[in-house]
Amino acid sequence: MSIQTSEKSSNRGQTFMRTLRQDHAGLSRIMREIDTQAHRLAEDSEGARAILVDAFRYLLRYHHAFHHPREDRLFARIRARDEALDQTLQQLSHEHETGEQETRRLAEDLARASNKELVGECGAELVDRINDYLRHTRTHMRHEETVFYSRAEQVLSDEDWLDIIADDGPDDPITDIRTMRASYPALARSLDEPTSHLGLHRPEHSSSHELRLQMLALTDLYGGLMHEAIDLTRTHFQRLKSVRDPVSLMRTAGTIYADNLRFAGQCVTRPSRWAINTGAGLIVGWLKPYMKQ
Amino acid sequence: MVSWQTRTAKLLSRLTIRQSLKRELSVADMRERIQAMERFFPNVPDDIRIEHEPGLNHCDAEWLTPGAGPTERVILHLPGGAFMTRFMRAERLLLARMCRATNARGRLVFYRLAPENPYPAGLDDCLEAYQQILDLGTPPEHLVISGMSAGGCLALAVLLKARDLGLPMPAGALLMSPAADMTEESTDGSRVSNAARDAVLSLERGDDIRRLYLGEHIELANHPYISPVLADYTGLPPLFFQVSGSEILLDDSHRCAQRARACGVSAEIEVWDRMPHGWQALSFAPESGRAIARLADFIRERCP
Ligand SMILES: [Fe+2]
Ligand SMILES: [Fe+2]
Repeated sequence: MSIQTSEKSSNRGQTFMRTLRQDHAGLSRIMREIDTQAHRLAEDSEGARAILVDAFRYLLRYHHAFHHPREDRLFARIRARDEALDQTLQQLSHEHETGEQETRRLAEDLARASNKELVGECGAELVDRINDYLRHTRTHMRHEETVFYSRAEQVLSDEDWLDIIADDGPDDPITDIRTMRASYPALARSLDEPTSHLGLHRPEHSSSHELRLQMLALTDLYGGLMHEAIDLTRTHFQRLKSVRDPVSLMRTAGTIYADNLRFAGQCVTRPSRWAINTGAGLIVGWLKPYMKQ
Repeated sequence: MVSWQTRTAKLLSRLTIRQSLKRELSVADMRERIQAMERFFPNVPDDIRIEHEPGLNHCDAEWLTPGAGPTERVILHLPGGAFMTRFMRAERLLLARMCRATNARGRLVFYRLAPENPYPAGLDDCLEAYQQILDLGTPPEHLVISGMSAGGCLALAVLLKARDLGLPMPAGALLMSPAADMTEESTDGSRVSNAARDAVLSLERGDDIRRLYLGEHIELANHPYISPVLADYTGLPPLFFQVSGSEILLDDSHRCAQRARACGVSAEIEVWDRMPHGWQALSFAPESGRAIARLADFIRERCP
């Protein structure tokens, strides 16, 4: 009978730890989404704000309301059993408090800011704060994994588990897309997107796009010339090394002179050709709309 | 806004790697140049332990273990380099940073390279590494496979072949700009539209790469293990692609992800604006840190 009870509670322990891990999976998905949206705030402030506000609300209603209390109960028990972990676990519990305060502040500040503020300096400040928040939360998760994930099941007794699990709360709503759609519509829509764009996606004016391509072509051109110069120098060096007498020296000097002259010609003609082609291309590009009219 | 570090890296790689790919360089010269460039990549941080045992039958491989109590997670990483070269230090550092971010152990496989060892030697090595991790007792739900560029192609090939052999699937796959189309028709879409914008790759010698990688098996270019854009993805684990919007390999990721979704496989793509191919490995650039943090998020999602 006692063996059965012990098996049951160790199973409970495993289930409880699995729930914590699963919570971190959901939290990681949200971290990724917050990161995506924070970087879009200046570009699409209204859309990104709606998603971010949903995300921080979800964190407050689930992770801060249930996941962290779960962990705090667990930490309290581990601290009682393993004094060596006392300070670290206290620190982690303290981070739960500060994290919750910052989540609340970010949700409020984001909801309150006008669109203009989100695009300007205030928005940039918010993005910095969100980045800090992401960094802290990810580090917090990493610490938890190394500190107690593997050890909890070793140090805790059946009684401990019964106590910890007593009041466990709901499962993470992120696993149920219908709940997410009902409670956090903007976030759910964004989580459903199979492709995310990172970085600014303002459509570039076609003439500046063309100019940029031409500048890249020029860089390639000079890159090519630079490599040819290196190869040429290497060849010259090899030739000079094989010089044995004054006659072969004269012949080598002549070859080097001719090769250098040919290369100097390339250095002039290739960029000139680029300039003529680019100039003509850009002029045609600029004239096109007028010619159509 | 692209950081100055990434801008500088883009300019330098345009002047060096891209030029090398455009020119008639021998494979030996290419490797020598890469080795010279690699001196600028820092060493793996001290808190990451590197071990060689247990090894693989035909190639070198390393185990990377982060100092701060690793979890049961394992990341099997396959480096890139057009199947013929590799940035050993850069890839080792990339894996070390991924391991640190996820408390995972890393397995870095220096699979055999073409042209000395054409297809299927490299794939066989990667599959052996995969099988070995499972044999050592790692539950597949704690294993993630990752690959960069040509390594991304091999990562997909390992998944497809493992599935065909009836091996268990890992928890997910990270695919950083996989080169997943070796067919002869691979000359449209982003390979053309991004040909000038790509700061690293140039396909002027694409035919040579195909010929050297496939050796006498050139007729296999359309095989799904070589061109996973043509594969049936049924039964594969969730896939996570990171690719730059300005690289020639952009469409490879889109096409693989589309096919995967059509087969009912979860496939997410992140398209990063104006990044150079392989930016995840640029440890000095902020975008690399951000990319790795996001890869780590995906790993925690799939291997809780
Ligand atoms: Fe926590
Ligand atoms: Fe936690």
